Amino acid sequence: MLSRVADSLYWLGRYVERAENLARIVEVTRREDLESFRHDPSDSLWKPVLFATCVQEEDKELETPDDPAHFITLDRKNPASIANCIAGARENARVVRDQISEEMWLELNSIHLFLRSDAAERSFHDDPDGLFRRIIRFSIIFQGLTQSTILQDEGWHFSRLGKFIERADKTSRILDTLTFRTGEPSAMALLAVLRSCSGFTAFRSEYRDDNSFRNVASFLFFSVNFPRSIRFCLRRINEALLEISGTSDGFFTNEAERLTGRTLAQINFTDVDQLFKAGLHQSVDELQQNLNDIGQCIFENYVLLPSELRDVVRTEGLQHSLLQQHRQKQQ
Amino acid sequence: MRLGRDLERVGLDGGAGVDGGPETDDVRRHRDQAVVFISGSVIERDADSHGLRLCCRIQTSANKNQERSGIPEWSASVTAFVWHGVCIEFGHPMFTDYATDGFFDEMFSAKGGQAFPHYAKIRDQIGSMSDEQLREKQRHLDASFLEQGVTFTVYGDGDHGTERIFPFDPLPRVIPADEWQVIEDGLTQRIIALNLFLNDIYHEGKIIKDGIVPEEVVKTAAHYRPEMVGVDVPQNIYMHICGSDLIRDDEGNYLVLEDNGRCPSGASYVLENREAMKRAFPKLYQSLGVRPVGDYPALLRKTLEFLSPRQAGMPVCVLLTPGLYNSAYFEHSFLAKQMGIEIVEGRDLVAVDGYVYMRTTRGLVQVDVIYRRIDDDFLDPTVFRKDSLLGVPGIMEAYLKGNVVLANALGTGVADDKVTYAYVPDMIKYYLDQDPILNNVPTFLGWRKKDRNHMLENLENLVVKAANESGGYGMLMGPSSTKAERAEFAEKIRENPRNYVAQPVVSLSRHPTICPEGIEGRHVDLRPFVLCGEDIEIIPGGLTRVALNKGSLVVNSSQGGGSKDTWVL
Repeated sequence: MLSRVADSLYWLGRYVERAENLARIVEVTRREDLESFRHDPSDSLWKPVLFATCVQEEDKELETPDDPAHFITLDRKNPASIANCIAGARENARVVRDQISEEMWLELNSIHLFLRSDAAERSFHDDPDGLFRRIIRFSIIFQGLTQSTILQDEGWHFSRLGKFIERADKTSRILDTLTFRTGEPSAMALLAVLRSCSGFTAFRSEYRDDNSFRNVASFLFFSVNFPRSIRFCLRRINEALLEISGTSDGFFTNEAERLTGRTLAQINFTDVDQLFKAGLHQSVDELQQNLNDIGQCIFENYVLLPSELRDVVRTEGLQHSLLQQHRQKQQ
Repeated sequence: MRLGRDLERVGLDGGAGVDGGPETDDVRRHRDQAVVFISGSVIERDADSHGLRLCCRIQTSANKNQERSGIPEWSASVTAFVWHGVCIEFGHPMFTDYATDGFFDEMFSAKGGQAFPHYAKIRDQIGSMSDEQLREKQRHLDASFLEQGVTFTVYGDGDHGTERIFPFDPLPRVIPADEWQVIEDGLTQRIIALNLFLNDIYHEGKIIKDGIVPEEVVKTAAHYRPEMVGVDVPQNIYMHICGSDLIRDDEGNYLVLEDNGRCPSGASYVLENREAMKRAFPKLYQSLGVRPVGDYPALLRKTLEFLSPRQAGMPVCVLLTPGLYNSAYFEHSFLAKQMGIEIVEGRDLVAVDGYVYMRTTRGLVQVDVIYRRIDDDFLDPTVFRKDSLLGVPGIMEAYLKGNVVLANALGTGVADDKVTYAYVPDMIKYYLDQDPILNNVPTFLGWRKKDRNHMLENLENLVVKAANESGGYGMLMGPSSTKAERAEFAEKIRENPRNYVAQPVVSLSRHPTICPEGIEGRHVDLRPFVLCGEDIEIIPGGLTRVALNKGSLVVNSSQGGGSKDTWVL
């Protein structure tokens, strides 16, 4: 498979997953916002969300946009908005149109055309629930089609890699929103976090109604069977990487595999007590750094020129600009 | 003609009602003055004309008591036939106001306004739709093109350009079998001659030595490649894919307007237009017996594989695209997908030690044949344009060593130069000892003194073209030009006579087309696609391009052109 095609499939998976998670986060926050006018100024409600959706540098104070929900959802000027994620996914899909099924393309193109239309703006104001449901449903349909209408070959594994790296990253960011507040998070905040991961029902079946901070963190970090938990995602990343290179579990043939294996082992052999002892925010930070590094290593290993060729072919300019583009996208 | 069939359905004695047919009163309300009433009985069946010969009493509201026997005929002004008080057929309200305006029309004869027999079914079916139905169909087609991403990119607004659909007109252009045979023979003859010419000028240059084509014409062509002199290409084929533009003069003769022998585009629209038409008008399509075009990708792939330097195993063919933002990217990705080959950008390929490889997740894979959709100039920044980011450094070395094949070959542009074009009939004579089956449009060459004087004196009657431009750019349309534009072109011609040719205005045939005001005639041309490999293959049909602006003769998509499906019977 062409390296560039693998890269595009990876980003296709990643952007679609990112759009879905953004929709989940905004929807839940918006609902909370509706009820919060008495005790919580909405600014402090949206700040962690804006941070989690990556539009704010840690050391820079970004002023809250007038309408944060709109900013994250439809604002074309926000490079990380849902509309732009979908546009990015579509751009990559255009590159690999010969690799994906017609059904996948039609779904993606029609949500893209919709998000750019006035109808989307109207829907945002008149029926926001419907809008977010539509975006989330699109992603679920798209991922279902990815599962059931294309060859489950190398390219498919690359798109899965993108999807699960993104999902692990977003779940950790959602969890991290709880650490922005002083003191123990409120029951409502915990509920909102579970809801935005579609994890409410699954959580109930594992912990009944004991929704303490500790349990929620444990669930989102360590749950073996919940498809959005960090452990679950890392296991899938690990599987996909080993499938691509044909390596057995427990071994590694490249840096991406080594890092993934190590991160997964760390999670497998940690429990929630140690997590809290190390500090949830610090652990999330470390995890995000690892995910970033894994993405970078996948890119260097599969997309950049093989190292023995880099000297033969004068493509420093090319390598440099490829790397540059990749860094920007990871943000 | 449906009339005969419907009469049978009514029961030939007449009088009975037609299932679901509208009552006479509705017809009258619809358009009172043009209803034809028929009564009488069937005299004989007439298999090869209109099915049934009738003894008719024909009444129109204008002429109540005209009575004659014979076949009731459609004419442009008839909107319905009524059989014993029941309307059995609506006429063609869509075509009632259609005028050919003295141009050669693809569908209607200039005399009497009758549709040609090969258009009868289209006239019956599409003509009987209402304006609203037809527009609904068109909206539906447009929406499906947009949804499928059948688009091209227009530059100029916004940094990445805007994606537009190529405007599509649902009225198909029909070419009867005998006409197509002439086109096919003519194009076959032409591509053989062009390939012999290219092989000749890059080797001995006999045609130059024999004084048929002046050396100057060849050597000064912008796309002449001295690098190719003495280089053998596989099977001596240079032009593997050619898209010649055909037009029709006022008598309906097909003429070659130009040969596109570098990277002709449009084949994907032929295939997509056909799919859209099959969805929109399935019955009409089926009833006409249209020859299919769907095997173009397979034929193209066969043509490419035939060229491979490694014949053992499966040759690795790729399509080289300038990338996502190229106006024809849809076509590139469509064709690659249909052929089942990789679509690559310059950065996917590396040339090492005289071989070209593509970079894959499993390392490097050697490439045999490159169907390149980028121009010569951008292929290799170490040889041609240094600023090109689209090409592959070192690819030329591999190509000249014969380790990789380019389709089309390097340097074919010399044959689609507008000055060389004027010599194609002579080439056909010289190499094949045949008369050209398809004629050229008469062409005046700026570098011939006599022609140049004629050009300069008659600018207002001529179309002047720059020899190496395409896409409708660098043109002067004499009759519609201003004095200042003509002065500007006269200056340009004097400065660089080699670069200009002129042709009399050939007023392209017209075809009924859906326009804001209803169905009107618009000028069309035809680009068939010729493949030259082990065999010469021409898919029946091609891209019919239509100049959507009233009176315009420019059919290019960048300048208000659209397309139609082309049905060869």
